[in-house]
Amino acid sequence: MMEKTSFSDYLNRNKVIKRDSSMPEIKVALLSNFTINGLAEVLKVKSYQESIWIESYNAPYNQYVQEILNLSSELYQKDPDIIFLLLDVEPFLEEFFYFPYRYSFEQRKNFVNQKIKEIESLLTILQERSKAKIVIHEFLVPAYSSRGIIESKQEWGLTESIHKINQQLRDVCKRNDRLFTFPLNSFCSYNSNSLAEPKIFYLTDMRISSDGLIGLASEYLSFIYPLASKSKKCLVLDLDNTLWGGVVGEDGLEGLKLGPDKEGRPFLDFQKLILALFERGIILAINSKNNHEDAMEVIRNHPFMLLREDHFACIKINWQDKATNLKQIAAELDIGLDSLVFLDDDETNCALVRELVPEVTVIDLPKDVSLYPSVLKKLPFFNLFQLTNEDEKRGKMYVDQKKRSLLELEIKDLDTFIKQLQIKVLIRPADGSLLPRITQLTQKTNQFNLTTKRYQEEEMHNLFKSSHYFIQAITVEDKFGDYGTTGAVIVRKDLDQNCWHLDTFLLSCRVLGKSVEFALMNELLKKAKAEGVKCIKGYFAPTKKNQPAEHFLEDCGFALSKEENKIKEYTFNFNEEFKKEILVEVKEWKN
Amino acid sequence: MEKLTPLIARVLNIEQSIIFDNSSPETISEWDSLNSILLVIELEKNFNVKFTMDEVMAVQNVSDIKAALRRHQVENEVIE
Repeated sequence: MMEKTSFSDYLNRNKVIKRDSSMPEIKVALLSNFTINGLAEVLKVKSYQESIWIESYNAPYNQYVQEILNLSSELYQKDPDIIFLLLDVEPFLEEFFYFPYRYSFEQRKNFVNQKIKEIESLLTILQERSKAKIVIHEFLVPAYSSRGIIESKQEWGLTESIHKINQQLRDVCKRNDRLFTFPLNSFCSYNSNSLAEPKIFYLTDMRISSDGLIGLASEYLSFIYPLASKSKKCLVLDLDNTLWGGVVGEDGLEGLKLGPDKEGRPFLDFQKLILALFERGIILAINSKNNHEDAMEVIRNHPFMLLREDHFACIKINWQDKATNLKQIAAELDIGLDSLVFLDDDETNCALVRELVPEVTVIDLPKDVSLYPSVLKKLPFFNLFQLTNEDEKRGKMYVDQKKRSLLELEIKDLDTFIKQLQIKVLIRPADGSLLPRITQLTQKTNQFNLTTKRYQEEEMHNLFKSSHYFIQAITVEDKFGDYGTTGAVIVRKDLDQNCWHLDTFLLSCRVLGKSVEFALMNELLKKAKAEGVKCIKGYFAPTKKNQPAEHFLEDCGFALSKEENKIKEYTFNFNEEFKKEILVEVKEWKN
Repeated sequence: MEKLTPLIARVLNIEQSIIFDNSSPETISEWDSLNSILLVIELEKNFNVKFTMDEVMAVQNVSDIKAALRRHQVENEVIE
């Protein structure tokens, strides 16, 4: 094992790192009411190791209220992407922290409610003035009370009051997409020595220890990852001594450690955690050196195996080197190598993969198998700020895709293949529940995207409410499964000219090449004719990645009418018939 | 166990050759308040001792650190 990096190592390393131009930059602001010196530097070094560059702003000691209230404060000038608000409960509650029982029950209740209002209004102001995601620490519930063992019996006592403030904070965050709480209480209970020693506290007003700050920075990475669009999609697993104990080729199915007994339980729990990730939408794959038949026998027939064939979107069990397998897994799933996380117990395999495919994130499993489950609990890579239905189904969708590819191998002619898939396309006007997914599609779709306009949720809401726009969501399914909402169309209506402008027309790459795009355009044109629209204009804004959409408008019967700043404007000729054959079934949304 | 001078050099990120008994925050610019605390934490970990708050506050320079370590029965050979 590597020796633990000390706090001063981080500080020293921070002085020598330099930004690589390929690194995305995330601007972080830290606000606190106690000393957190060094936290920004540790976070910067940890992010740097993940190829993310952090520009940090550490607000002056205990100036968080001023920074939030003052419109021209450094905080707002730095325009951060994410703000961490670390408030210690003692200075926050002031005298109440030591002497809650000087006050009556009613007074305590009023005081606590007033403190809740105070923090809520700060958060509201922060949200109005900054576009940043905001993470606020829960308040630490103290272990000591002057009331001793009857503290927990006090109505609006100190402990109960802090719990109520925390609950209220969580409720506020539930209602706001950009607000998150950081669970400081469970962080402290699972990370020993995370609170500063009394001596250090009195000398410096540090309330979190240097080890605690290192731990916090690791937790903060869970927020930095999705901000930097570095979230991973797929967990690639070794088999022997990873999903089960022992080597199937030597020990046989009966000799493997996996099940409810002492030796088998770490592996069983490990599989439970992986299965839960699958059910959250993480794609699973296998990369194992084994005889294919031997290993499949275990996956299919071992009585305690939780992960079965149908959980894996790609299975590579062979004698090739693991780096080659990983490249093939990425290619077959059509995702980037940098979307893969690889777990293996064998140091040599891990080293080889790091060397040959550095894009893949490699996790060495510890020597002690009892630590396996905790490895999975600490992975920050899979975090998303919002989980849509599509995200949750992703793991299963890729398994469905595997079955589709098998069909594709048997069929030569593409049109026949598409017809055999029995694709159904549902076009529905956007409603409030679809907006988060449509927003996400505008942010993530690169290939089949005519204009590549990226929208934030608030902007999308404004379009949705505007009478000058209409938004459609496209849901696709075929006989193997549901792709979910995988396309979107946004049309700006010029009411004076009776003309429609295609603001956004996009399809996720998962449903590309299945003629869905033509069905979609055909429906849109029909709708325009039915509404008596006189002209339709489409736009193509070239990017590095959207060549697949380059000729789409022409293919649909649009003609180039203008080119300005590389953006091509096309106009539809209503005299032309729509020539493309529609191979998929289109269903109109009926309430 | 790391010896004292290399430990100070590592924490302050400076050359060992510029560390003397009379070196102090006044003579070494890297020895700021945060590093003072990290020095305490690293010294305690490395030499497996616990200083009192008074001891920490009394330290003005390297020779004070040495004296404190000796008081805690740290072997002379790792101090010098």
